Amino acid sequence: MLKILLATAMLIPTALLIKPKHLFTTTSAYAMLITFLMLKWFEQPLNHKPHSTNTLMMLDNITTPLTTMSAWILPLMIIASQHHLVTEPVNRKRMFLATCATLQTTLIMTFTTTDLTMFYIMFEMTLVPTLILITRWGSQAERLNAGMYFLFYTLTGSLPLLIAILHLYVSNGHTTMLLLAMQNTLTPNMTMIMWLACMMAFMVKMPLYGLHLWLPKAHVEAPIAGSMILAAVLLKLGGYGIIRMIPLAPQMTQTMYFPFIVLSLWGMIMTSLICLRQTDLKSIIAYSSVSHMGLVIAATLINTPWSTAGAMILMIAHGLTSSLLFCLANTNYERTHTRTLLLTQGLLFILPLMTMWWLVASLMNMALPPTINLLGELMILSSLFNWNTTTIILTATTTLITATYSLYIFITTQRGTPLPNKVLTPTHTREHLLMTLHLVPLTLLITNPALMF
Amino acid sequence: MSPLIWSLLITSLATSTIITMSSHHWLLAWVGLELNTLSILPVIIKSHHPRATEAATKYFLIQAAAAALILLASTLNAWQTGHWSIMHTSAHTTTIITLAILLKLGIAPMHGWYPEVLQGSTMNTALIISTWQKLAPLTLLYLINNNPPTNILLLMGVISALAGGWIGLNQTQTRKIMAFSSIAHMGWLIITLNLSLHLTTTTMMIYMITTTAMFMSLNTTTTKTMTDMGMAWTQSPPLTTMMMITLMSLGGLPPLTGFTPKWLILNNLCHMNLLFPTIILAMASLPSLFFYIRLAYFTTLTTPPNTTNTHHKWRFKPPLIAGLTPATSLAALLLPLMPMMIS
Repeated sequence: MLKILLATAMLIPTALLIKPKHLFTTTSAYAMLITFLMLKWFEQPLNHKPHSTNTLMMLDNITTPLTTMSAWILPLMIIASQHHLVTEPVNRKRMFLATCATLQTTLIMTFTTTDLTMFYIMFEMTLVPTLILITRWGSQAERLNAGMYFLFYTLTGSLPLLIAILHLYVSNGHTTMLLLAMQNTLTPNMTMIMWLACMMAFMVKMPLYGLHLWLPKAHVEAPIAGSMILAAVLLKLGGYGIIRMIPLAPQMTQTMYFPFIVLSLWGMIMTSLICLRQTDLKSIIAYSSVSHMGLVIAATLINTPWSTAGAMILMIAHGLTSSLLFCLANTNYERTHTRTLLLTQGLLFILPLMTMWWLVASLMNMALPPTINLLGELMILSSLFNWNTTTIILTATTTLITATYSLYIFITTQRGTPLPNKVLTPTHTREHLLMTLHLVPLTLLITNPALMF
Repeated sequence: MSPLIWSLLITSLATSTIITMSSHHWLLAWVGLELNTLSILPVIIKSHHPRATEAATKYFLIQAAAAALILLASTLNAWQTGHWSIMHTSAHTTTIITLAILLKLGIAPMHGWYPEVLQGSTMNTALIISTWQKLAPLTLLYLINNNPPTNILLLMGVISALAGGWIGLNQTQTRKIMAFSSIAHMGWLIITLNLSLHLTTTTMMIYMITTTAMFMSLNTTTTKTMTDMGMAWTQSPPLTTMMMITLMSLGGLPPLTGFTPKWLILNNLCHMNLLFPTIILAMASLPSLFFYIRLAYFTTLTTPPNTTNTHHKWRFKPPLIAGLTPATSLAALLLPLMPMMIS
């Protein structure tokens, strides 16, 4: 555990001190090496009890896939940001990489900690580097507003969580997640408020439809690295939190979950419909994230073995797919300097190989077989169907609309006639490598889905 | 001002606080408070600016009025009980004295003088007023803690935390922002008097560390308004980065130092089952955080499109104060040392 955590933490001084010539190569290679070391965690059968535990941290079937995914995203962030940073002086590049490494360190600690108080502190600690990524490295003036939305939505949601955790500490004398789940000491009259306080932080983070307004702003304004980590990992903190919190009050969940499931399922339809009428490419991908996360919220709340496994698979699948889509959107943005769909038509004629990546990414996003996206959605759909048959109307409609807007993105960006007077640079090997590194885990994981839950 | 008089003033500033801290006789405590006021007045008025005169007058009137109230209450106490001991003050006089001390500390709703005084004095004087000058009144609150007016302390603490954050949203001058930040922090601080005196000490220490770090940074970069803050990066980019972190620490974002008192206070309030004040206090930290983050935006996160006369100001050696580095690093990284501070 520490060999991964300390190695990741040492990426911060590495980024600050290494020779400028080796800056990007060393940090990305080093981050990739850490990810490969982390794969050893899968050696233990994941469906067994927590392993590699110490007094503060543990690994189990929920932690391991999410941590590994966030570690996988870090080198990809570094690779994706190279063009964005090429005009910056070397000190700013160093600071950027150090910020990313800090974020990664805090994420590993958030996912692996066993103590709720520690979890809260680390959960909040991820806010600071992300805020810096959005507001320092974004490109438009609206990024400041987006940063405020991001920070204050999350904090307003999570301050009740802090009070709930302190309350648990006062009544139990400890805040270890595993023991709290066994004791279940919430007092009956307080349980409802406590349940809400515990869940709202994660509902905002996921985000639940209605609490999601910060997400499209943050995604649109963030630089590519910020969008990638936000879509791939930070949203999954919400799902992780819900999965961890539900064992604290399982009976209460059964009575409280209706409004949340209704809102998430209805939100899926609404946000997918919103996707169809967006003009901004990044905004579509952001709303698509909200839609997919609605499925995860519903699945984690009904809390059956199938639905939790499905939620884990969908979180991994969506993390890689949306990160891939943001990378593709960014390659377009770096060439055309616009995210408006109407101005980026007909890229098929200019960047033919990129079209292939767009096609694959769109098919992944609409959950075509044999992707893990399909596996996750199928497991969630069938467990929701088992919970209540009428949910199939909502979930099936969403699947349909998801397919529609995925094709809409693909067709509007790739087909049509390109605008005249645009000189676009050809694609780089770096960009193809970036897409490949996203797609390799996505396609290979279907051969052994048990790695994800 | 001649060095002799300056050193005399500073010495008496230090001594008078210590006199108040170490006294157990009300008259001596009062003398200490008055000496304290009298020795800071020339320091405030030194710059001979009309605003400085105004600030000094306001400070004198408020402090003298509060001290007179303390004298009145302690005389009443002597009349009723026949002794002047601070430790054995009766309940009614304690209430009067507490209100007088809260006036001295600038707790809302008696905070109106505080931003004006800070805005009228120089950055260093403002630092002294918002840190060292809080010590003497606060010690008296420690000493009368055997029967404190808990409701007043809790209520005014919550009002102060709310008002400090709320009014601070409207400010553009850094000293006034720091004044409202101080009012909000003082609100948190006097709530701890109901909970545990160890916690009060910890909160006060952390308040002093973070405020000192912020004032020193503002002083080094000569930042008087938010517009000036946008130009601070030309002097020292690392310093502005640390300013951003100090601001986040003042706002109480985990895992920075400023989160420590908030965490412990909320924990203690939960322990006493005061759920409603806990929630209000936690939420009251959000408006304050908003203006800190807005300041942080100006430090590093944006570079406003201003023109600079010299675009390589950092090539010249910036006049760094010796205490700046330890102050900013303590303001950022003290949270893991919390178990050692609290016990």
